[in-house]
Formats: sequence, C-alpha cells, structure tokens
Amino acid sequence: MVPSLATAALLRRPLRTFLTALGIAIAVGSTVVFLSLGEGLRQAFSQELSGVGPDLQVSFGDLQTGSFAEIPELPIEYADILLADAERYGIVDLVPVLLHVRSGLSPGSAIVFQGLPAGADVASIYVDFTIAEGRQLTTEDEGAMVAVLGPQTAERLALGVGGTLRLNPRASFEVVGIGSSAGGLLDNSVLVPISSLQAAIGVEDRVSFFVIEIVEASKANEVAAAIMADHPDLGVQTRAELLEVIERGLAISDVVRLGISAIALIVGAIAVANTMLMSVFERTREFGVVRAVGARPRFLFGLVLLESVVLSLIGAAVGVALGFFGAWIVNLVSLDLIALEVAAVTPRLVAFAVAVAAGMGLLAGLLPAGRAARVPIAVALARE
Amino acid sequence: MLRGVLRALDLGKTYRAPSGDVVALADFEHTFSEGAITAVVGPSGSGKSTLLNLLAGFDVPTTGGVWLDDLAVHQRSEAERASVRLRRFGFVFQSFNLVTVLTARQNVELPLGLAGAGPGERRRRADDLLRRFGLGQRADHLPHRLSGGERQRVALARALANDPDVVFADEPTGSLDSVTGREVVAALHNVAAEGRTVVLVTHDEALSSIADVRLRLSDGRLAATDHVPARRAAGGGREATRDDAEDLAPAAGPR
Repeated sequence: MVPSLATAALLRRPLRTFLTALGIAIAVGSTVVFLSLGEGLRQAFSQELSGVGPDLQVSFGDLQTGSFAEIPELPIEYADILLADAERYGIVDLVPVLLHVRSGLSPGSAIVFQGLPAGADVASIYVDFTIAEGRQLTTEDEGAMVAVLGPQTAERLALGVGGTLRLNPRASFEVVGIGSSAGGLLDNSVLVPISSLQAAIGVEDRVSFFVIEIVEASKANEVAAAIMADHPDLGVQTRAELLEVIERGLAISDVVRLGISAIALIVGAIAVANTMLMSVFERTREFGVVRAVGARPRFLFGLVLLESVVLSLIGAAVGVALGFFGAWIVNLVSLDLIALEVAAVTPRLVAFAVAVAAGMGLLAGLLPAGRAARVPIAVALARE
Repeated sequence: MLRGVLRALDLGKTYRAPSGDVVALADFEHTFSEGAITAVVGPSGSGKSTLLNLLAGFDVPTTGGVWLDDLAVHQRSEAERASVRLRRFGFVFQSFNLVTVLTARQNVELPLGLAGAGPGERRRRADDLLRRFGLGQRADHLPHRLSGGERQRVALARALANDPDVVFADEPTGSLDSVTGREVVAALHNVAAEGRTVVLVTHDEALSSIADVRLRLSDGRLAATDHVPARRAAGGGREATRDDAEDLAPAAGPR
C-alpha cells in the first residue's frame, strides 16, 4: 500500500515529477563532475607517488619553491656530500632529477623534460615504467642528445623512434625509445640524460631535487630530520609528506568545488520541497481519508518523506549517469590539452553523491511531511 | 455479542472567529445503542457534522467528552485517537472517500495494513469482505472504474475491515440513486444486526426513518430523541415515540 500510495503520488503529475527529478539530476550530475576532478588528480598522484616512489626527496629550500622552481637551485655537489654519509643516513640510492618545462602557447603544447642519470633505474622512481618501443637510456647516452618519450607525449607530438624533439633553438633530442603507459605524470614526460639537459639549458652544476632510497623506509622521518639538521639549506620531504602536501591541496580544492556544488544541490532541494508541498496540498483530501480510517500522523509524515527521498534518488541515479558522461567529456578535453585524465568517477564519489541526494530528499521532505501529518481531518474531508 | 458503548456527555464545540465565537454544538448528551442504527438528523448548520467530527475523534470538543466504554476518547492524543478509529470505528461517507489511487482491494486493505496485518491476512480478509458485498470481480479496479453503488460498497467493506464496534455513516446514500441507496441501507441493517453501533448522519428524513433511534439537532443542540421500537417487527407501519431532550435523565458517565 505504501509503495502504491508513493508511486501514485509521484506519477500523479508526471511532468512535474520529471522536471523536479531533472533538477536534482543536474545538481547531482554537476556535483559528480566537479568532485570527479579531484578524484582524477588524486588517482594520478597516487599512482605516481604511493607505489615504489622515492623514500625521500631532497630540494634546496622548501618543497614548493625547491622542486618545481623554473631555475633549478639544488647544487649538484650535495649529492656527493650526502653520499659521503650514505652509511650513516642509510642511503641506498640517490638520483638527481632535473625538471625543465618547455612551455608552449597553450597548456597542451607544454612539454616536461626530466633529466635523470642516463643509467638510473627509472623504476625506482616511477612505478611500472617499461619501454614499449625502441630502447631505454643507458650510461653511454650521458651527454648525448637522446630522449625516451612517455606514451602520451609521443602521441601528442606525433613522434616515433627516430624523430626529433626540439627543446630550444640550440638543442634538439633524438627519440630513441617510447615508454609503455604506466598512467600518471611519467606518461606525459620526456626522459633525457641529466647532463644533456643541464648543457641544453645551461645549468651545469644544479638540479631540481634528489630522490633518495633508504634502507628502512619506515625510518624516513628520522633520516629526513638528520639530513636537515646536518644541512640547514636543504629541504627534505618524506613520501608521506609529499602525499600529505598534495592531499591537503586536493582537500582544499574539494571544499571549494563542493561549495560550488552545494549551490546546485540547495536549488535542487528547494525544487523537491516545492514539489512535495504542492503534492501534499493537492492530496489534502486523500490524506484526510487515510487519517480518518486510522492512520497516525507519523504514517503520513513517513509517506511524504519517503516520496521525497525516492524522488531525490531517482534524480540522483540520472545525475550519476550525467556525471559519468560529464567526466568523460572533461577527460576528452583534458587529454587533448594536457594529455592527462583529470576526472575520475570513483565508487566512493558515486556513494557520496547518492548519500547527499538522499539527505537532500530527507531534508527537503521535512516541511511537506510535517504539513501532511498535521492535516486536520474534518477540514480535509470537507474539501472537494 | 458485546460491543463497545459510545457515549457523549455535555459535548460542545465552540469555534473562535474574528466576528466572535461560534457555538457549533452545545450540551449534547446521548448513549448510542449497540446493535442499532441511531440517526442524527437536522438541517444544514444544525451541528451534525460537528457532532460526527467529535464522536469520531476527528476533532476535540471544547466542553464535555466522548467515551467508548470507559475510554475517554477526547482526552487521548492524536495518535491514540487514530488507533481508536483504526481498530474500533468504521466510516462510510457521502462522497465514498475511497483513496483514488488505490484499487478496491487496496482500499479495503488500507486499515488492515495500518493495523499491522501481514500481506496474506490482509488480502484474505479484503477479498472476503469484497465478496460479501458482491464485489469479488471488481477487486482490482480503481475507484473511478466503479459505479457509485460499487464504490459505496467498497467503502462499507473498508469500514468493516478491522471489525469495528461503531460504524459512522455520513449521508451514505446522498450520492446514490434510490435502488443502490436501498442496498446500502440493507447493508447498514446487517452491520447493526451484527451488534455494532451505527451512527447515521443525514438531513434526509426518509433515510432517517430506517433508524431505531432518531436524534434531531437544531442550532447546535439536541432538540428531540425519537425511538422507533417496533421498526423491524412492524415493517412499514412504524410509530415513533418522542421524548423531549430536556426530559432525558443525564447518563451517568465515567467522569
């Protein structure tokens, strides 16, 4: 009976129900798309950093200016200084990294060059990096103008093995290999021998940062503290700290995006409340009859609340579908522009959207449900 | 079969209005007979609807009260009055008041469901009642597919769903032709014959003549009480005895 009553109520004015559900669908859909941006970035970063990433990252100064500065600041001699104490710190491996961005007119044409010692084990820094075509860089390549392209960079630039990639008017690299897709930022990078890149951009004695692997990853905090105590000029971040910095940034952007979504959700909730109020008003007589034959006020309260939640959940289901579609469009554009899928509709995002819609329906239904429960029977029955 | 006794004592209702208080009902006292039809008659505005609303617990009185056996209905909460209506009262209205979006069977199942009956029991009881009123084939129809007489019989079936002690019938034949009206009257006689108290509210003198007791309301007061003792035995040749309301000894209520 309750399902019959609720279904009939929603089908009583199909167009009104449809439009209200559509409003919720758009609100939930836009929320899903907005929040999927954060989820996509989170996935990209966690693929990059959570796996077999570096235990420590050493930069000159703090993280923000140190590792991503336009001009590399970390003097290379620190590598030898730290390695001299390798045993004390428990350093297994130290890899200097030089980042250089060849900017373009649009974000889509920017290229990230990563200079690494040519023989370095890339897999110790990046998860699952393997060569799909051509060859890996070897120690003999140091100083040579050769490059291994991430698969998305190769595709974007339409370069194959044997192609030429220009960095600046004085320097071009020959493509000798193309990596297989591992997901994340490496797919969008160009790996070149570090000395070649230093020569090309004219910073012979400086790098962006060191990545360090230590004997016991669990001691990362102690090692970081020890290095910083010995060398106050250096900034040392553990992997956990790096993830934390990124996570904090994403969390802030989540709040901002949720704030924007909240406006849509509030408008949706008001639409639901309005629809339910009208529906309650139209059914005053029906409610009077149901109350007359013995329904308690809370029966009608629950019935209207149920209708409100069901209406919201129908909208949410369509909204999640819209969200998937929207995220797909966003990725289509972002792949084209920056060769990275920035949007991801994760299960927890879907669960969140559905829960928010249910909560919204519940909240929006409170006032109409209260009205329904307080219908005076005598007045309701007298109504034509 | 012993059923509940419905009793009104010093019952009154005054509505507040900007132009001054309106006395809709005052000083109404009556103990409704079990197993009999009691008609409440009077012109529009005489207080019939107000009396029905108070007796049924739709509304609460400003003075006096309504007792079902020793249960002070008027002192109960909204939810408790709903429970009394659900389990001990049944209703038949002029405009049928079926829930339009529920089928005939679902309408009968409604009070059963509210009373907590399981799906199987609900269906069995609803189908029994619909068959009793000759609606076995119409159970799955929505009210708008039924004739007026059929709708009123569905309403009767619904009224009896939880085996009530008191059945209120508010102008039950008002929307029916004379033939179907007579069917409903016959059904009400049967309901009373089962020991239930039937309260029939009508402005129709002809309809009120089927009652065992006739309460005449005028200007919100009980003007007269007519007893029709020989109704069943005498058939058409019935004779009314009339007591002036003022002469009635006040019933000793469980105050």
